[in-house]
Amino acid sequence: MNSLVFAQNKTATEYDRSLAWGALLLLSLGLVMVYSSSIATAEAGRYTGNNSAYFLQRHGLFLALALCAATAVFLVPVRIWQKAAPWYFGACIVLLVLVLIPGIGREVNGARRWLNLGLVNMQPSELMKLAVVLYAADYTVRKHAVLKNFKRGLLPMLGVMLAVAWLLLREPDFGAFVVVAVSAFGVLFVGGMNGRHFTALVGMLAVGFAGLVLSSPYRMQRIFGFMDPWSDAYGKGYQLSHALIAFGRGEWLGVGLGASIEKLHYLPEAHTDFLLAVIAEELGLAGVVLVITLFVWVVLRAFAIGRQAAMRERYFAALVAQGIGIWIGFQALINMGVNTGLLPTKGLTLPLMSFGGSGLIVNCVAIAILIRIDWENRQLARGLNA
Amino acid sequence: MSAVGVPMMVRLPAWRARLAVALLLAAFLVLACRSVYLQSMNTSFLQGKGEARYSRVLEVPATRGRVVDRNGEALAISTPVKSVWAIPEDVSVTAAQLKSLAGLLSLDARELERKLSSAEREFVYLKRQIAPETAARIAELGIPGIHQQNEFRRYYPGGETLAHVIGFTGVDDVGQEGIELAQQAVLAGAAGSRRVIKDRLGRVVEDVESIRAAQDGRDLILSIDGKIQNLAFGALKSSVEANRAKAGAIVVLDVRTGEVLALANLPTYNPNNRARLTGAQLRNRVMTDSFEPGSTLKPFTVGLAIETGRITPDTMIQTAPGTLTIGRYTIHDAHAEKSGAGAMTVAQVIQKSSNVGAAKIALAMPRDEMHDLFKRVGFGAAPRLGFPGEAVGRVREAKTWRPVEQATMAYGHGISVSLIQLARAYTVFARDGELAPLSLVKTGVPAAGARVFSPEVARALRAMLEAAVQPGGTAPRARVVGWRVGGKTGTAHKLENGAYAAHKYVSSFVGFAPVSAPRLVIAVMVDEPSAGQYYGGQVAAPVFSQVMQGALRLLGAPHDAPLAPIELPGEGDEVKENT
Repeated sequence: MNSLVFAQNKTATEYDRSLAWGALLLLSLGLVMVYSSSIATAEAGRYTGNNSAYFLQRHGLFLALALCAATAVFLVPVRIWQKAAPWYFGACIVLLVLVLIPGIGREVNGARRWLNLGLVNMQPSELMKLAVVLYAADYTVRKHAVLKNFKRGLLPMLGVMLAVAWLLLREPDFGAFVVVAVSAFGVLFVGGMNGRHFTALVGMLAVGFAGLVLSSPYRMQRIFGFMDPWSDAYGKGYQLSHALIAFGRGEWLGVGLGASIEKLHYLPEAHTDFLLAVIAEELGLAGVVLVITLFVWVVLRAFAIGRQAAMRERYFAALVAQGIGIWIGFQALINMGVNTGLLPTKGLTLPLMSFGGSGLIVNCVAIAILIRIDWENRQLARGLNA
Repeated sequence: MSAVGVPMMVRLPAWRARLAVALLLAAFLVLACRSVYLQSMNTSFLQGKGEARYSRVLEVPATRGRVVDRNGEALAISTPVKSVWAIPEDVSVTAAQLKSLAGLLSLDARELERKLSSAEREFVYLKRQIAPETAARIAELGIPGIHQQNEFRRYYPGGETLAHVIGFTGVDDVGQEGIELAQQAVLAGAAGSRRVIKDRLGRVVEDVESIRAAQDGRDLILSIDGKIQNLAFGALKSSVEANRAKAGAIVVLDVRTGEVLALANLPTYNPNNRARLTGAQLRNRVMTDSFEPGSTLKPFTVGLAIETGRITPDTMIQTAPGTLTIGRYTIHDAHAEKSGAGAMTVAQVIQKSSNVGAAKIALAMPRDEMHDLFKRVGFGAAPRLGFPGEAVGRVREAKTWRPVEQATMAYGHGISVSLIQLARAYTVFARDGELAPLSLVKTGVPAAGARVFSPEVARALRAMLEAAVQPGGTAPRARVVGWRVGGKTGTAHKLENGAYAAHKYVSSFVGFAPVSAPRLVIAVMVDEPSAGQYYGGQVAAPVFSQVMQGALRLLGAPHDAPLAPIELPGEGDEVKENT
């Protein structure tokens, strides 16, 4: 923990310990469960060299990198982020374009989501999630005066978001698109965009979605198939039915760490998208409730930090904090909703927990930014310069 | 205190942040409720679905019972072997590994490669039933995707000598022939089962419970005596080879218990290596083939006539001039010219095997009585040894008999029996008039029989059958040193397409010993001897003699004749029966 503080100043040791602990608990539980859920897959896989610790080693390495990145990011004042936001956002758009170019972007299972960086692959859509929060916060602050104006306030943002949406859906990465869209307009919403515009936007999305679904029975079935996974349990409902079985087997306290059967090649993506199912099976309802509680805590802290920043008229910081809260909370909700069969299956990882380097690093950076905002809040409260 | 100097005209609406938080918290609450529902209320449904996916009931194989002879010598045993199979998709193999694998499996390397690259198949056997040592060396190669499974292979120490009795099992350890087939249920036992949990790759990860323990098959103790069997097989083989016969069969019965002590057929096969198997090799002629027995049937007709008081052993029967004409048919005696006698006693009819005499005796009796006798000695009915494909033989309904047919049936034509039926029928003479029940399974205790003749009649016939193997009879070569024997030859033309073939014979001999207290009945049949000799007394009787001599010695039967060498009559003096 001390590394996060990096003792700049003897009076500056105050930081949000509870948020840091909450995030660290999620990270450590994630590390343990990624290992537990990936052993069988790693052992059987040829690409892993039958090394049962394959995913543990990589996740551990990513976690170390993520903590280093978080430490570094904590040292960066929020105003630097504000200045850098458009550039960072622009860089992410360039990466999203690059990822679509054959030969640069790496295609896995029909999706172009990765950039090959030699040793590791990078997933630009994960970087975009943070970028969109920073950009939307900066945009809201910059355009605050005209925010309620459709042409000058909403339209530019809408245009940019449509471009990003187009890029993400070209990969395709529908999950990332939903998270990016919700984060961006969430920030705009709490930042004070025109209520009628927002309602109209949500209404248009709803109508468009309903139209798409109702116009094609096939699409309807694809989307609502998740409601009854047992009707096609060995086909489309395969993954979800196994996730649900994992929940049912876990009961209150779980079958015990390491004892999951679903992870033995039954449940695909056990260490990424369906990590919660393995937690549910091995640690039971207790484990699931712990994970939910920790995410709720992270979201509450994010909004609390945002509110304090707002009280000090640090609007960019406030919107970034709340945006991060919306992003992390929403992505966790979608992932857990998919795992429990409340939402259709979409490829989204559990923030801070699932296997995946880019996501892990960006999530840790986001938490570090939250802690930095809080630290600056505290400095200001002491009358010091942030 | 925004770093960028944009004037803030409006405060952030705090209610919107609160609304956002509230929405997120509400969603988390829904999630928690859903989790509670799944993990505390819906558990039995979900666990049931789970069990359907990965809970499996595995069969626990039962070990097949052994087959042993009456002395406990193994005749069929199961040895553990391995079968090697592969999931072609999972296999990655170097050229060197492929070569050594092909070597160990004794397969062609290219053939092996073809098997391993049949990508559309998920499972392919590379080789079944290989020795465990070879399997261990294959496992040492450590090739991914190559698997092994435990199996049993049946081994038959007796080889070809007992092939027809024991039969064999198929590659799946299920009986295909012989006792292995007949006693499948007893030998196989009952496989047990246990419930396990398997991962999706089919590996057992947890042993949940044993549902039923495997019940190993029971050992089967056959009535066969391995030593007598070897003796019988060896003697039959020499005779079939020496006479260049098409086939041969022999069966040895224990008179008191009705047990089959030996049963052999030629041609035969090696049940341990059935690579080239023909139908002829597979046939258990003793049990499944019926033939026209010829003169071996004469004692039954004669016995019935004596039993019913129509004749006595001393009654004179006129057989001159050696032929008997019934309607368009004429019955011949082969020996009539030499014997010269115009009339002979009933005993001599048997001894000299007179067709005319036997026919005349038969014609003196109602056909119903003869038919009934044949039925009572077991002809025309399966001997019910529990053996697959037992021949029933053919005994036509009495009312369809024409006089000439009644006459020819007296000397074994127009009727067909299997060798085992014939041997069993002779227990009537050996057991003082009782027909012994047969058994292929060791009983060791005397069996009660069904009475056919009175003891006196049976003894009288024993005396006549003993005379038949004496000089002046048809089978002096049937005699053995140290024991009195009795028996009857048969030499029948073979039926081919409904007509008798001129130069194809079935030579047979059925007899018993010791005459004073019979222990064994042996029946020998040689099919189409083609080295010159074809009379039962020349072809089949020596086999009988050889086996009887050895078997009585093995059984330690008390002698009832002096241990003097047997003098065979000169070639000219031997009486040859016809048909």
